[in-house]
Amino acid sequence: MPLASNSSRPFSAPHTAPWHAPKGLEAVLQSWQADPRIWSNVVLHERMAPEPAVTLEFPHALAESVRAALRSRGIERLYSHQQEAFALAMAGADVVIATPTASGKSLCYNLPVLQALATEQGARALFLFPTKALARDQEVALHAFLDDAGLQYGAITYDGDTPGDARRAARDRSALILTNPDMLHAGILPHHASWARLFANLRYVVVDELHSYRGVFGSHLANVLRRLIRVARFHGGDPKFIFTSATIGNPAEHASRMLGRPVQLVNKSGAPRGPRRVVAYNPPVVNAELGIRASYLKSTVRLTSDLVKHGVSTLVFGQSRNNVEVMLKYLREQVQRERGDPESVQSYRGGYLPEQRRAIERSLRDGQVRCVVATNALELGIDIGALDAVVCAGYPGTLAGLFQRFGRAGRRGHESLSLLVTSSAPLDQYLASTPAALLSGASEEARIDPDNVEILVQHVKCAAFELPFEDGERFGDVPAEVVGDALGFLGEHRLVHRTVGANGRGVYHWASEAYPANNVSLRSIGWDNFVVIDLERDAVIAEMDYRSTHTMLHEQAIYQHVGEQYQVERLDFENHKAFVRKVESDYFTDAMTHVKVSVLSEDRGGLMESSASQKLSAALGEVSVVEKVVGYKKIKFHTHENVGYGEVNLPEMQLHTSSLWLTVPEAVVQAQPWARPEVIDALRGFGHALHTVASVSLMVDPRDLGHTLGDKKDGDAAPSKGVSSAPGFDPTVFVYDRMPGGVGLAPRLYEQREELLLRTVHLLAGCSCESGCPSCIGPVMQAVPNAPLPSRREIALRVLADLGIGLPH
Amino acid sequence: MDLRAKLTRLRSMEPPAALFEPPPWAATEPAPDKSERISQLRALISEVALRDRRRMPANIAQAAPATPPPWSQETTAHGPLHVCARYLEPDHHHGHAPVRAALCALPGALPSLVLDASYTDLDLSRALYLDTETTGLAGGTGTVAFLVGLARFEDESLCVEQLVVPQLGAETPVLARLAERLAAASCLITYNGKSFDWPLLRTRFVLARLPVPALPPHIDLLHVCRRLWKKRLPSVRLVDMEREVLRYEREDDLPGSEIPTRYFEFLRGGSPDRLCPVLEHNQNDLIALSALLGAVMKQYAGELSLCDATDALHFGKLALRARDLERARGFGNDAFTHSASSQQARAALTLCAEIEHKLGRVGESIEFLERALEHAEGENGVTAAHLHFALAKLYEHEQHDLARALRHARNTEPVEGPNSHGRRLGRLYRRLLRNAADTP
Repeated sequence: MPLASNSSRPFSAPHTAPWHAPKGLEAVLQSWQADPRIWSNVVLHERMAPEPAVTLEFPHALAESVRAALRSRGIERLYSHQQEAFALAMAGADVVIATPTASGKSLCYNLPVLQALATEQGARALFLFPTKALARDQEVALHAFLDDAGLQYGAITYDGDTPGDARRAARDRSALILTNPDMLHAGILPHHASWARLFANLRYVVVDELHSYRGVFGSHLANVLRRLIRVARFHGGDPKFIFTSATIGNPAEHASRMLGRPVQLVNKSGAPRGPRRVVAYNPPVVNAELGIRASYLKSTVRLTSDLVKHGVSTLVFGQSRNNVEVMLKYLREQVQRERGDPESVQSYRGGYLPEQRRAIERSLRDGQVRCVVATNALELGIDIGALDAVVCAGYPGTLAGLFQRFGRAGRRGHESLSLLVTSSAPLDQYLASTPAALLSGASEEARIDPDNVEILVQHVKCAAFELPFEDGERFGDVPAEVVGDALGFLGEHRLVHRTVGANGRGVYHWASEAYPANNVSLRSIGWDNFVVIDLERDAVIAEMDYRSTHTMLHEQAIYQHVGEQYQVERLDFENHKAFVRKVESDYFTDAMTHVKVSVLSEDRGGLMESSASQKLSAALGEVSVVEKVVGYKKIKFHTHENVGYGEVNLPEMQLHTSSLWLTVPEAVVQAQPWARPEVIDALRGFGHALHTVASVSLMVDPRDLGHTLGDKKDGDAAPSKGVSSAPGFDPTVFVYDRMPGGVGLAPRLYEQREELLLRTVHLLAGCSCESGCPSCIGPVMQAVPNAPLPSRREIALRVLADLGIGLPH
Repeated sequence: MDLRAKLTRLRSMEPPAALFEPPPWAATEPAPDKSERISQLRALISEVALRDRRRMPANIAQAAPATPPPWSQETTAHGPLHVCARYLEPDHHHGHAPVRAALCALPGALPSLVLDASYTDLDLSRALYLDTETTGLAGGTGTVAFLVGLARFEDESLCVEQLVVPQLGAETPVLARLAERLAAASCLITYNGKSFDWPLLRTRFVLARLPVPALPPHIDLLHVCRRLWKKRLPSVRLVDMEREVLRYEREDDLPGSEIPTRYFEFLRGGSPDRLCPVLEHNQNDLIALSALLGAVMKQYAGELSLCDATDALHFGKLALRARDLERARGFGNDAFTHSASSQQARAALTLCAEIEHKLGRVGESIEFLERALEHAEGENGVTAAHLHFALAKLYEHEQHDLARALRHARNTEPVEGPNSHGRRLGRLYRRLLRNAADTP
C-alpha cells in the first residue's frame, strides 16, 4: 500500500511498487547528506562493489531423485561453494562452509545427506542446531525436500518437547534426527544402546551455526563430539562432519579444533551480491560532562522512518525484545504522522509461530509490510526474504554478528544499505571511534579450549558412563596419558572402577549411582545453576550460572530480563533459587565487587615493546581470583546518577584461572604530580578500557573476562577493595579469563598485548567525554563539576605517556 | 601449564565433595516433618555405619574374604558363571500365600488381569520370573544389572537362580544364561520390568555385543496392581503388595538405596558376605512375585474372597474392562455387601448398574442407579449429577419415560455444561408437549 505522501516527493518511487524503486535509497542518502544535523554524526560511509554469481552444472555424481527435487524448486545450477562442498563430502572429507548469510549454506549439507539417503541403504544423519526453534524450522524444510526427492525417510526433531511415541519412532525408523547439543549430551549419548541403528549407520553429522559454539559452550560441544565419535565407533559408525559457519576469522581452525582432526574449508561464496553502502551513525553527545549521547533507539527510529517513507524495505534489528517493542511503537507513530499505514511496520521476534512468520514474510514480499523490527531471531538462519536496507540499533557485540545481520540486505542485485547506529555502550563507542574495522573484512576468531581441565574431566565422566575406557585409550585428540590421569582422578573419587579385562588390559568402568550428564550443563562451566522464579506467576523465567548469581541476583538487585525489570526479593542460596517480582524501576543496580587476584605461577613475561621507556612489563600466568560482592549501587536509568547503596552478604567465590597482567613500577606512580589514589584510580579506569578493547579483539562476551587492579606480589592477603592506597607496591592491571581454569583467552591476550595496549590508548585518547564515561575509562560516579584536577582519563593518558606509550602519529 | 599439571592441581585443590554432584536425594527439598525424619534416619544410618566400620577391618581393600562367596561357580561356554541356586519346598508359603498358586490353572483370570485376550493359553508352568539388582536407578548405559534374579517352576517347586556379575565388564555369562532361560520360557513376569529391568538388560546385551533376545509375552505385575490397588493404597511397590495382599512383613530387609553401595564395596575388595543381604532381598522379591501372581489370580477367580469393598470394586472394574461381565457382577455384589460407608455403597451400586447395562438389562440398571442415588446424598453435587445424567439418558432413550427423564435431567448441568444441558431440557419439554398434544 503506497504512502499517501509519496506523490508530493520528487525522489519517491512510482505508486505501484514503491519498494522496488531504485531511486528510493539514493534519495534517502542524498537527503541525509544534505542535512548536517544527520551527516555530521556519520562516522563511516562506504560503497562496496557488487559480486556476480558463480554457478556450475549439477555434479555428475548427484542422484537423479535429488536433481529432480532441486529442479522442482527452480534450481538448475549450483553456486560454486555448494558444488565444492558436495565434492569434498563425496571425497570423504570433513568440511566447514563459511560463506556469508543467505548464500545457500543449508543446501551445502542437505545435498550430501540426501545423496547418501538416495544411494545407500539405511544411511542416517544427525543434525545439530544451537536452538530448538531452528531445528523445528529446518525439519519443515527437510520434509519438503525429502518429499520432492521422493525419498521415504523420516526426519524428526528430537528434543525435550518430543512426545514419547515420537521418540520411539525417532530411534527406530527416522533416518534424519535433528536435535541440539544439550539433548545429544544428556538424552541421546547416555542411552546410545537404544540408538544403535542410528550410530551404526551414521554417515553425516551436520553442525549448523558453528560460530555460535565458542567459549565455554564451544569447549563443551567439542567434548560432546568426542563422545559422539567414540560411541559411533562402538556401533561401527564412522560419520563425516559438515559444519556451517557465519563469516569468522578462523573457520577452518575453529572447526578442526572442534572436531580434533583437520577439516576442509569452503569459504569462497558463489552467491551473487549487489552493491552495498555501509554507514555507521554515532548519535551526538548531548551531555559532555557525563558523556551521555542522544538515544540510539530514537536515532534509529528517525533514520528508519526516512527509509520507510521513501519506500525502502527495511529490516531493523534491536538488542532486546523491549527495544523492539519501543522502536515498533515509535515507528508506527511516525508513519502515521506522515499519513502512512502503521500496519506496514511489523515486529518479528523469537517465539513467533511458523504461520505468523510466513504471513509476515509474505506481506513483506507483496509490499503490505515495508519495515520489520526484529530481535536476533532472524540472525540464526530463518529466512525472511530480500530487503533493501538493514539497520542495526546497537552493535550486536561481534563483527561476525553484525555482518550476519547486514547480510540480510541486498539479495536482488541492486544497491542496498547497511546501517549501524551505535549505542553509548563501551563496545559501540569503541567501534564508532575505529569504524574502519567495519570494512576491513576481518572478523573475530572463535576460540574454544576443549582441553580445559574442568570441562574435560566432566566429559570423561560422561564418556565413562557411556562406555568403559580401556588402558591406553585416547579421548578424541586427548593423549592416552592425560585420559589415564583423568580416570585416575575419577577413580580416587570412586566414580570409576578399574578392573582387568579378558585381554589382560585395564578397563575403567563407571561405578556410581549417578547419571553424570544431568549434572553437566553445556551452556556454562559451573554445574549448579540458579533458577529465577517470578513470584507473581510462580514460574521459572530464567536460569543463571553460579558465578553471575552473586552480582546479578543478590537480594534487592534489579534483575533485567527481556526488557522487563524485576527485583530480587529473596535469594535462597542453599537451594539455588532467586525469587523476583516485576517492578517499574527507574534505576538499575550495579554490584560492588571486591576482587583480589594473586599470582600462582608466572608462565611468561617481559617488558612491553611498545613501552618506549621500558618500564611497563607484561606477564601471563595462573592466578587465583577471589571475588566477593559487598554491596550494590542504585543507578538511575539514562542519567546514570548514583541514587543509593545497599549491602549484600554473600559468600566469596574463589576461581583459579589464567590471566594477563601489566605492571606499572611504583616509581612511575610516585613521579606523577597527583595524589597517589588518583593515579591508582586512573589506572583502574585504564583496566576498564583494556577490558573493553580485549573483548572486541577476542570476539568474546565482555562478561567472559574480568579485570582488576592489584599487586601481583601480595599473595595471601584477605580480599580488599581492589587495592590499598598505601604506597610501596607496583600497581598491576589484571585482565583474566572468568571461566574456572580458563578457556584459552589469557594466552591470546598475551599474544596480542602490544596491539591491545595501543588500541586502549587510542580509545582513551579518542573518547569525546570530558572526564571519563562508561564508554572509555568507566563511569564517573561522583562527577565533580569544575573540579580543579585533570580528569581520570587525562591522568591515565599521562601515566601511559610516561611509560612511553602514546598514540602513533 | 599443561593438561597433566592442571589436573594434578585440580586434584590437590578441590575437596572431592565440592567437585562432584551431591546425591540426587540431596537436591530435593524435603517437607519439614520429613526432614526431621530424614535426619533421624541419617543419624541411625551413620550409627549403623559406624558399627559396621568397627566390625570391619579399617581397609576393606586388604580384607581377605574370610568366607567363601555365597555363590558357586559354574563353567559355561561363555566363561565362568557365578550362580546362587535354591529350590523351595513345593508347599512353600510366602506369608499366607502358597507360592504354588502361581501354577494353578484358573481359566480366564490371567487374560482379564492383563487385559489381553491373547494370554488365554499361556502355560504358566514355564513362566520365568525376573528381578534385577542394579548399580543405580538412573538407567542409561552406565547402570549395570549386577544381580539377575530368575525363578521358574520345576514340577511344583520354585527354583530360584541368582546370577551374579563378579566384576564390572564380566556380564557375558550372566546375559547368555538369561537369554537361554528366556528362550525356554512361555512368558516373562516382572514387577516394573517393562520400564526398568528389561530396557536396562536390553542395553546390557547391546553393550556386551550379544544379540538382544526376543522377549516372550511380558507380564508386568506393577501394571496389574496399579489398576487394582492404586486407589486404596498410597503406593503399590512390591513390598506394599506383599504386606497388603500376601500379609507378609519382611524382617531386616536391606533398604533399596543401600544396594548399589554394597555392590561397590564388594567390587572394591569388600567381603562377598556384604552381598548376602542383597541376594536375600532379591530372592524375597522373586518369591513374592510368584506368590503375588497366584494370589491375585485366585482373588480374581473367586477362590479367595475379597473382604474389602474398595478391592472388590476395583476387581469389578477391571473385570468390566476385560468384558468378563458375570465375574464383574459378582465383584459388584461383594463390593456392596462389604461396603462400610454410603460412598462405598454408592460406588458399588453404580458399578452394578454399569454392568447390568452392558448385559442389556436396562431395568436392573435403572434400579441400581436409583439406589445409588439414595446413597449419594452426602457427597458433592457432581457425583449425584453423574447418576442423574445416566438415569436421564436411560429413561429417555431406553424406557421412553419422558417425565422421569425430565426429573433427572434437571440435575445434570454440572456434568454436561449449560449449553448441552439447555438443549436436553428443551428437547424433553418439546417432546412432552407434543405427547400431551397427541393424547386427547
